Amino acid sequence: MTRPLIYEDSTLPIHAYLDGELDPTNALAVETRMATNPALAAECERVEALQRLMREHLPREAPPPGLRMRVETVVGMRRPRRQLSHAQFSWRALAASIAVTAVVASGATSILRAPSRTDLVRDGIVDAHIRSLMASQPIDVASSDRHTVKPWFNGRIPQAPRVVDLAKEDFPLVGGRIDVVGELPVPTLVYGHRKHLISLTAIPAPGRANSAPVLRTVDGYNMYRWVEDGVAYWAVSDVAAADLDKFSELFRTTPPDQ
Amino acid sequence: MTIVSLHGRDAVETKGRLDDGSSERFDQKPPIDGENNMAPGQDDHARFARLVLPHLGDAYSLARWITGNRADAEDVVQDACLRAFRAIGSVGDGSARPWVLTVVRNTAYTWLRKNRPSAIFAVEDIEDVETANAKPGDPDSETPETALIARADAASLQAAIMALPTAYRETMILRDVQGLSYREIGEVTGVPIGTVMSRLARGRNIVIKAIGRTES
Repeated sequence: MTRPLIYEDSTLPIHAYLDGELDPTNALAVETRMATNPALAAECERVEALQRLMREHLPREAPPPGLRMRVETVVGMRRPRRQLSHAQFSWRALAASIAVTAVVASGATSILRAPSRTDLVRDGIVDAHIRSLMASQPIDVASSDRHTVKPWFNGRIPQAPRVVDLAKEDFPLVGGRIDVVGELPVPTLVYGHRKHLISLTAIPAPGRANSAPVLRTVDGYNMYRWVEDGVAYWAVSDVAAADLDKFSELFRTTPPDQ
Repeated sequence: MTIVSLHGRDAVETKGRLDDGSSERFDQKPPIDGENNMAPGQDDHARFARLVLPHLGDAYSLARWITGNRADAEDVVQDACLRAFRAIGSVGDGSARPWVLTVVRNTAYTWLRKNRPSAIFAVEDIEDVETANAKPGDPDSETPETALIARADAASLQAAIMALPTAYRETMILRDVQGLSYREIGEVTGVPIGTVMSRLARGRNIVIKAIGRTES
């Protein structure tokens, strides 16, 4: 709005003035005219009052519950089969519930033994990560201090995860949350990396041999999975694969307590 | 809420129109709104989650103000998100919000033309009276006192805004609820900045007078 205002008798500039759309010269011109023209000043007051009224009564709002889920489903970020209604009951869902029940019952069987179960876990972890990005808070406990995050898990789940401090490497700890994969509550650590978030989920996998991180891509998210000391780690994020690879390496090689 | 016709109010000549294509001015879609023909890239979902999903609240709000109905607004947002997802590769990271709102707006008007053609007003007729009405503080007996405006409740405010022609209504919502700049509103609604300003002025004046009538 650098062009000079030609309509001397118009109230239009008052709106641009109140909306902060005028450059200083034109803003001053409007103020000067209002000082000598009570009708313009009154108009300005009325418009301001209306703007206050709208701010008060019509705040920006959150989308209604369920809309996100509809949208995610329609663009393929969420599989309809995951909403386990009776109508969508499937063999795969049955298999999943049996698998999870078996784990809960025996406490010894790895849920990662069969590839199809791994797929299910993988999808569950990606879903949890996506959901967390959409929530107002991606975490249940917000802290950059691993001595706060680790104890938070104690008492909520059987085994608190290993927590390491990677702030110096540009992967600051943001906090932690509990995700439910299948029906199993599992600990997830959240690290930051240049405005992006990395979710690292630790799932008990007793008896499972150690394995190096393997990259896969699910729904556009990069994932690294590796097994260490009977725990399967899943790192998922929208950071570049190279950054996530670096993160996985650092997490594996950094001792929990220096 | 339903769309309220403005026949005979505020000297604004508005017409309901059948879906005969004569209201095409509402359908000026920017090229970015088109579906691209490329196969979806691997990171499309990540881009969608980052660029579109954060604006779902604004998208829903705009769709509700245009359609005047919550259920319709959800349908519009769902359609719009699918269109946005198909074109997700064509939007830059910095301009996501106006772009999302553009897609939502165009989807909403397509929806209205199909389902409620009478709700689309012929905007040219409105523009004709804009200049006349943007005249200055002529001592208008209808114009309410500031104190009267400040006392208005949410219901009468919403009713007054809902009664506006859609072109004014969407402009006011984009500015006063969603906080877009004139330039961004011009992008979303496909009109020059001067028109954004005159629509705001006109829309606000109509709402102010309507509130004055309700409150006095």
